[in-house]
Amino acid sequence: MSEQTTATADGGATTTALPPSVVVRGVRASYGRIEVLHGVDLEVPAGSVFALLGPNGAGKSTLLKVLSGRMRVTAGEVQVGGVPIGRTPCEKLARDGICAVPEGRGIFPNLTVRENLRIWTYRGGISMKDVEEQTYETFPVLKERRRQMAGTMSGGEQQMLALSRALVTRPRVLYLDELSMGLAPLIVAELYDLVAKLARQGMTIVLVEQFVTTALAVADQAAIMVHGRIEQQGTPAEMGDAALSIYLAH
Amino acid sequence: MPPAEATATDVLTVEGVAVRFGGVAALSDANLRVRAGSVTGLIGPNGAGKTTLFNVISGLQTPDRGTVLLNDTDITHMRPHRRARLGLARTFQRLELFGTLSAGENVQVGLESSVKWWQWRHVKRSFPWVKRGAAGADAAGDGPTGPGSIAVATADRLLEGVGLGGLGAEQASAMPTGLARMVELARALAMAPKVLLLDEPGSGLDDAESQTLGELLTTLAKGGMGVLLVEHDMELVMRICDYIYVLDFGDVIASGTPEEIRKDPMVQAAYLGTVTESEAESVAETFDVPATPEAGPDAVQGSDERDGEAAQA
Amino acid sequence: MSNFLQFTVFGIMLGAGYAIAATGLVVTYTTSGVFNFAQGAVGMIAAFGYWELVSAHHVPVLAALVIVLILGASIAGAFVERVLMRRLHGASAERPVMVTLGLMVILTGMATILWSPTTQRTVEPMISGQFRLVGINIQYQYVLIIAVAAAVAFGLRALFYSTRTGYALRAVVDDPELLGMAGVSPNRMSQYGWILGFMMAALSGVLLAPTQTTGISIEAMTLLVVSGYAAAIVGRLKNIPLTFAAAIAIGLAENYVLNYVEPHLSSALQTDVTSALPMVFLFAALVTLPSVRLRAVGRLTSMRAPRVAGGRESLIAGGVFLAVAVFVAVAFADTNVKGTTLLTLGGMVMTLGIVGLSLVLLTGYSGQVSLCQFSFMGIGAFVMGKVAGGGSLLGLLAATAICAGVGALIALPTIRLTDLYLALATFAFADAVATGFFADGRIYGSGGLSIGRIVLPGLSLGSDRAEFLLVTVFFVLSAWLVLAIRRSLFGRRLVAVNDSPAAYATVGLDIGFTKVAVFAIAAAMAGLAGALYGTVQQIVGTTDFDIFPGIIFVLFVTIWSIRTVSGAFLAALTYVALNQIWPSSIGIFAGLGVILIGRAANGILGIEALHFRLPWVKAPAGPPDALAMNAFSGAASGNEGLSAAG
Repeated sequence: MSEQTTATADGGATTTALPPSVVVRGVRASYGRIEVLHGVDLEVPAGSVFALLGPNGAGKSTLLKVLSGRMRVTAGEVQVGGVPIGRTPCEKLARDGICAVPEGRGIFPNLTVRENLRIWTYRGGISMKDVEEQTYETFPVLKERRRQMAGTMSGGEQQMLALSRALVTRPRVLYLDELSMGLAPLIVAELYDLVAKLARQGMTIVLVEQFVTTALAVADQAAIMVHGRIEQQGTPAEMGDAALSIYLAH
Repeated sequence: MPPAEATATDVLTVEGVAVRFGGVAALSDANLRVRAGSVTGLIGPNGAGKTTLFNVISGLQTPDRGTVLLNDTDITHMRPHRRARLGLARTFQRLELFGTLSAGENVQVGLESSVKWWQWRHVKRSFPWVKRGAAGADAAGDGPTGPGSIAVATADRLLEGVGLGGLGAEQASAMPTGLARMVELARALAMAPKVLLLDEPGSGLDDAESQTLGELLTTLAKGGMGVLLVEHDMELVMRICDYIYVLDFGDVIASGTPEEIRKDPMVQAAYLGTVTESEAESVAETFDVPATPEAGPDAVQGSDERDGEAAQA
Repeated sequence: MSNFLQFTVFGIMLGAGYAIAATGLVVTYTTSGVFNFAQGAVGMIAAFGYWELVSAHHVPVLAALVIVLILGASIAGAFVERVLMRRLHGASAERPVMVTLGLMVILTGMATILWSPTTQRTVEPMISGQFRLVGINIQYQYVLIIAVAAAVAFGLRALFYSTRTGYALRAVVDDPELLGMAGVSPNRMSQYGWILGFMMAALSGVLLAPTQTTGISIEAMTLLVVSGYAAAIVGRLKNIPLTFAAAIAIGLAENYVLNYVEPHLSSALQTDVTSALPMVFLFAALVTLPSVRLRAVGRLTSMRAPRVAGGRESLIAGGVFLAVAVFVAVAFADTNVKGTTLLTLGGMVMTLGIVGLSLVLLTGYSGQVSLCQFSFMGIGAFVMGKVAGGGSLLGLLAATAICAGVGALIALPTIRLTDLYLALATFAFADAVATGFFADGRIYGSGGLSIGRIVLPGLSLGSDRAEFLLVTVFFVLSAWLVLAIRRSLFGRRLVAVNDSPAAYATVGLDIGFTKVAVFAIAAAMAGLAGALYGTVQQIVGTTDFDIFPGIIFVLFVTIWSIRTVSGAFLAALTYVALNQIWPSSIGIFAGLGVILIGRAANGILGIEALHFRLPWVKAPAGPPDALAMNAFSGAASGNEGLSAAG
């Protein structure tokens, strides 16, 4: 993993480790006998934000599952920071700094907010005190609800809790699947502000998002997936029209 | 091609339906009407509450408030199978097939559903709208398979009608999604419903299949059925729907003809999540409208022609 | 008054013992989603193991406790999770039920071999002696049990609600994938859950063993904690304090009934009501569970369904079967196998085959787990014996009809129950019937109920050979019936209601009616089988229709194939053969078999490699028309799969 040297405010310099790149080569994956990814090639440069677009059923969530180790490939490989993830179990990848926030609220609905936060500390190297401090600072509403069952909160609050894991565990790689699902535009905007901030702090981010314009606003690069393949790839400026028409007109 | 508007009745009426799951309001005030002989669309972003609304209509979910009327009968608190007997059929977003049975048997279960099993020999049904030119049930023995079982022959005809001719013996769970969706549709049609609810029937279909589906639904509506369709495939929706409701956050935020919906800025915002001006510009390009919708009806009028073209695209 | 206090103390102690086992059940269920039917059996093995160490090998008490409760339970729990349970991920809901039942019968089978039932084994209390308080004697052991139960309940509650590991344990069944993404191994959490569950089971077994004043018995110890099952159900399988309270209440209730109610009833009933009470409580707890709403889950069975024989094929097969039976009847008329004539054994095979067919109908086609088919056999045999002096056609009809009625009666309150809960309810019913009804001296009498051969006008059926052929005819007729049902409208509905209850309802069909109907028919078949069984054996006794043989039989049918007629027959054959030749092994074979089958829904007969085609059977329809498939083939590549999360 390479490092980068940045200037600090007081005129000195610090060296921080650069977040890893994510490289996907020829990946195929199946649910039982049905193949859903038919040879996906993708390169996410280190420290960039990459948006995956495409219609429902294209395989975007499946690709994220593969990237985070929740699903095995039937062909091809995935490399994070130049190291193939192979058959590494999901929990090991999580401890190594890969954080995946799945579609539909990555929280435990039958645990309280505090209990959920406590589980985030399994990542290692973070104390509950820090976790709570950071979370409540960024999302004050979670402080009010800290003893409430996570499943009874509103969708936006649940998603904030899910995103708090990305916030406090300082992952090197972050996968976000449909962060905006079922949320009001204002909350979506708030969440994506946080995503942008995380990106600036040095994280490689791959996100799947149905709101094309929201995704393109925060991404450095984007790709469109249709029927289990990458159809187009490029910068948001290049993708703009193509994305909108393919997504909406199917 | 407008349906028989003069005598059009509302086969399905939903009024003020609200559903809460824990702290989340899945539906806050849902209202819609489905007319006989029309295809009505229900669209909205993921998580808007569309499937919950379907569950309320079909009886798998009791609403906290509101009523559901099927042809003036209050079915709000009726058990699902009773609603089905009154003429309400539905398909499911995540495919609820009888996997162990074959495709033909799946349809048969639908056909035989009103039968008390000791009387099944007396079942006779006519399905004038399923196959072009078919004129009612023939006498027993007229099927391509089997020694004259009425139900089998009719099931096969239904399967043919949805494009699955000859596949009746395939085990349902072994079929690819596209075909499986059609089996589910055929099973729903087998009940000769007055109202047909379809939850993302186009999901997993390619362009050709989507085309076929659209034609089928239009034909069904012409025959007098009320079709309510939840769909993400905007092209399909715009093409075949006579009327569209847009759901967002459990509320109907807009309703109207496809043209009206296409132009509605709230709908655009709901779907695209536009917040900034530059985003509004890209939206404008796609929807072929000026970037500042609040300019009023004048700004919109001049683009009717282009809208017409787009509608046929 | 002092009596009341004495009973109260004993009741609380009993309840505390139940509470420990019940808490273990809740822990296992909360962390793995599996209800451990073998909880009682594990306690039983622990008790016997402890006795073995302390009494036979003179190991010091403390060391023995450590070995059994800590070492033994941990290793066993981890082993069970790793080897048995992990393979079941993604299996249909009744699989874990079958596997834990298999574990139960393996453990009881092993125990029977290791510790012969004829010796009496008493276990000394861990703390001996007693003290007086407010005028009553309280044994130190009782206090120990109550203290441990309270500590367990509080401790586990603290674990689950105050520690990070506890949160992870609660989370793992909610969303194991998410837990993995948070950096915790869900497999490890499941292991902990099972280890804890086993420790609780062992603890309750060892602590309650000294209270068995007549010595520990395998069956009694295994079923001892069934009251704990009821308490766990009252606690909705997740609320530990409620479970604890319910267990104490049940212990008290049982003891009060034993001491206040039973002495008055024992003249009227020649059985002890108290033994049936746990099962009654369990049944009551189950039927008062809040109802579960129908949900559309999009689950499609990925297994190929077994091919259903067509009308002509089954007629031919039946004919061949009968011909073979005739041959056997003639050629082996005088063969004996370990003291019983082959034809008598053959008759048992045929009648048990009919019970197997009832399971095919009920569980194989319609997905409803029933552990009480043997009970219907017993009722059928009883009716057959009592009506018209035994051995009459009227008796046969009465047995069938009455069992149909009882089946419907049992089905009505259990309509809403699925999978695990239905299995528990039928388990409760089966044992309640066995202990409360069959064990009643007046039902079968001290020497058993004599039934005698059937008397049909114009036919002499007294000989073994005639009897064998008669029951074979009944078996073939039943097989034809079951296949005909499957091909019929009703059969389609049975399969459909299991595949998708949500779709079933929205297609206009009443789930409840279908379930009650199939339950009644299956009960009727089992009742008929029981009546016929009675005519084969000519005498039936109290232990013929016990719950353990019933469970073992269900396991054998599951192993071969619970979805086919052949499976039912092979199961009956295996069962009778093993029971005759090597009875002590039968539980072990059944348990091992169901464990090896794992997730395979179609049993041994479903293993593709073993399939062969009978020459007169047409091959199933080949791949559909290539042209038709091509038009839709694009869809297959474009979808997310049926189980995609999004």
